Amino acid sequence: MKKRISFFTIITFLFLGFSAYAQKSGGTLVYLVQPEPPSMASYISTSGPIGLVAPKIYEGLFDYDNDGKIIYVLAESHSVSSDGKTVTFKLRKGVKWHDGKSFTSDDVAFTVMNVLKKFHPRGPNSFREVTSIDTPDSHTAIFNLRNPAPYMLRALSAYESPIVPKHLLEGTDIKSAKLGNNPVGTGPFKFVEWKKGQYVRLDKNKNYWRPGLPYLDRVVGRFVPDASTRTAAMENGEVLYAAYNAVPNIDAVRLKERDDISVTTDGYSMINPVALIEFNAKEGPFANPAVRRAISLAIDRQFMIDNIFFGYGKPATSALSTNFKPTGLYASMPNYPARGDIASAKALLDSAGIKPDANGVRIRAILDLIPYGEDWRRAGEYLKQVLGDIGIKLELRYEDVPTWLKRIYHNYDFVMNVNYFYQLPDPVLGVHRHYGTDQIRKGTHFVNSSRYSNSELDELLASGATEANAQKRTQIYKKIQEILARDMPVVNLFELQFLTVYNTKLKGAYNSALGAYASFSEAYLD
Amino acid sequence: MSRSTQILRYIIRRLFQAVPIVLAIIVLNFFLLNMAEGDAVDVLAGEAGSATPEYMAELRAKFGLDQPLPVQLLVYLKNIISLDLGYSFRHDMPVSVLIVDRFWPTLLLMVSTIILAVLFGILLGLLAAINLNTWKDAVISVFALITYATPLFWVGLMMIVVFSINLRWFPTSGMENIAAFYEGFDRFVDITHHLVLPTITLSLFYLALYTRLMRASMLEQYGQDYVVTARAKGLPERRITFGHVLRNALLPVVTMAGVQVGALIGGSVIVESVFAWPGLGMLAFESLFARDLNLLLGIFLISSVLVVVVNLIVDVIYCFLDPRIEVS
Repeated sequence: MKKRISFFTIITFLFLGFSAYAQKSGGTLVYLVQPEPPSMASYISTSGPIGLVAPKIYEGLFDYDNDGKIIYVLAESHSVSSDGKTVTFKLRKGVKWHDGKSFTSDDVAFTVMNVLKKFHPRGPNSFREVTSIDTPDSHTAIFNLRNPAPYMLRALSAYESPIVPKHLLEGTDIKSAKLGNNPVGTGPFKFVEWKKGQYVRLDKNKNYWRPGLPYLDRVVGRFVPDASTRTAAMENGEVLYAAYNAVPNIDAVRLKERDDISVTTDGYSMINPVALIEFNAKEGPFANPAVRRAISLAIDRQFMIDNIFFGYGKPATSALSTNFKPTGLYASMPNYPARGDIASAKALLDSAGIKPDANGVRIRAILDLIPYGEDWRRAGEYLKQVLGDIGIKLELRYEDVPTWLKRIYHNYDFVMNVNYFYQLPDPVLGVHRHYGTDQIRKGTHFVNSSRYSNSELDELLASGATEANAQKRTQIYKKIQEILARDMPVVNLFELQFLTVYNTKLKGAYNSALGAYASFSEAYLD
Repeated sequence: MSRSTQILRYIIRRLFQAVPIVLAIIVLNFFLLNMAEGDAVDVLAGEAGSATPEYMAELRAKFGLDQPLPVQLLVYLKNIISLDLGYSFRHDMPVSVLIVDRFWPTLLLMVSTIILAVLFGILLGLLAAINLNTWKDAVISVFALITYATPLFWVGLMMIVVFSINLRWFPTSGMENIAAFYEGFDRFVDITHHLVLPTITLSLFYLALYTRLMRASMLEQYGQDYVVTARAKGLPERRITFGHVLRNALLPVVTMAGVQVGALIGGSVIVESVFAWPGLGMLAFESLFARDLNLLLGIFLISSVLVVVVNLIVDVIYCFLDPRIEVS
């Protein structure tokens, strides 16, 4: 009998365990990381799931608030010279790496010049104008630029450009360094354990440079492969935070009716995802810009958002996302109707001399779909139907990730492909790669797979990257958007709104524009 | 020659026979897997965003993927012979470490499922056969039919909805409560608690199979001459059922269970995925999509060895269940 009592006591404790984190400070935050990351090396990979974990460990020079304003993190202040070619960062004093060594300007110089600029997927682009970094003292880093690089200051978050410890990387092979799976940073949480297939555990950094922070004792990222189970775990309170649609929209709209669960679309403006169709602009049925324009006209963007993405999204109105409005680069363009216009699409095809045959079919083609979930399959089914209405008969092809990547970016063996791209905090970082002639890079993923090439556009892109004057920059990007609205090597569909589903018990985790890719240093459980 | 040495010699011979089979499995898998488009570097680079072709070529050289296929195969075979399963570049860990890490959860789930399914399957089949054509038989048969016909993932999700979300008796998923990080006996209880739903879900399907098999097998044995003889010499019905019929009726169930151990490793992908159970099935599934071929080949190798060993064990169990069966 005694044994039985102790057994039930333990079971009772287990249940109490789920509600045990109801304290002001301290406690454990369990959140969803989906899928399991390939490594923790955020300095050589921008893979999404790494971003969910690594920025709690590593920090950047800046963070950004929800309005895009700079929050100083490892930098205390910064100044840009009048010609825009020298950027000086004053670094924070008294910051220690998790192994006890001091953080200095040498770490910043080493990270940018020897790691990010060489091995990071986007670093060579973000820091391409940086020729050298001077470190006159241990808390000053002076970036010397070839040309002004206004976009660089938007790419200094912990996710985009994590600062890594020089003493652990210098002299090693950066790509296979031990640090990759055993991260050591300056951030609010220390890496403790990564149990493959289960979780990654981070504990509070007691020597964090911001006094009193972080509030949480422990942060655990859980890997749950099945979407319905993720929803159930959220519903049950076993996990408190799920970003990047880890809880799918179809469940999120149901869960948000509950008192203890909320949903937000904040925290994705620096990522800035846009759903789109890439075309083979070089050969095949879509080499003619008029056909691509007709497709853009026919699609009912609002219908896709409402019926496939549960109302989360904004119709695209240009090659640039409306998230570029605050920086003045966005301009609204024709040829992107929110509601489809079948009649004008047909008229456009007729005038281009692409006539229907006896069955009403003008073009037969295969539509490839990005293999990132059911939503994209449904998007494909809708496109098949609507483009069938204007005489473009599509067959859908859905493959696994490696096969699809190889087809689109290596073999160029496609004519039309549904995809989504991150436009990132500046067009130079996220948009140029899609259109420039220099971005036709066989075997490189997520660049100009359309193989569209236009020397006029190339010149505009080049001057847009180095123009320091904001008004002139606005003009340049207006022209760029005009050319892209006319030629449409890529048809933008809509601005995706990813969802973060969270338990209302979790507070203080929503102040950064990086959202789930931020540090959680101010997060606490109520 | 005594019976035990005979059995031992038989086991040793069977093990030697298994070597060419396992080798053939390795070679076949190797070529099958390499027929898939794309490789581990494509996936890594795809996840990382934009990576330069030079960087990707460098990775391929590092992983040995730039070598011609026959060379890659020879290198792999050479490693296998020295009991080295190779290196998973994706996980940056030796394959053997990864597999051992995930083997225990799979074994735990597999053993508890087999025990539960075989025991209850035999019990229910026995009950149904004894109570042939009564309401008990009907209930058991309908139950078996329904559980057999229901998709596993749906059963799993319904279990979660009923027992985790509504009743809150069990956690939804995972193997341990990771907010708590228990140790010692508490951890054992915690893991057992997490094991309940996946085990029941996975065993329901097999339970149905064994129930039906056991029932049919019992009925067949009842019609045999030796039962008539036993009745004629006046044995009580209990003795006939438990002393003679049951023992003979068990043989097909044991055979089936043996065959299915192999299938269970693969079949548990669904249950592992629904309950986020960190087992081998999930690892294999993920490595396929990541084109982590070394890891995948390692898992296949271990599975094939496991199937060979389990079948051997089943053959040996036969001898004990039915002394008439001789090993040779």
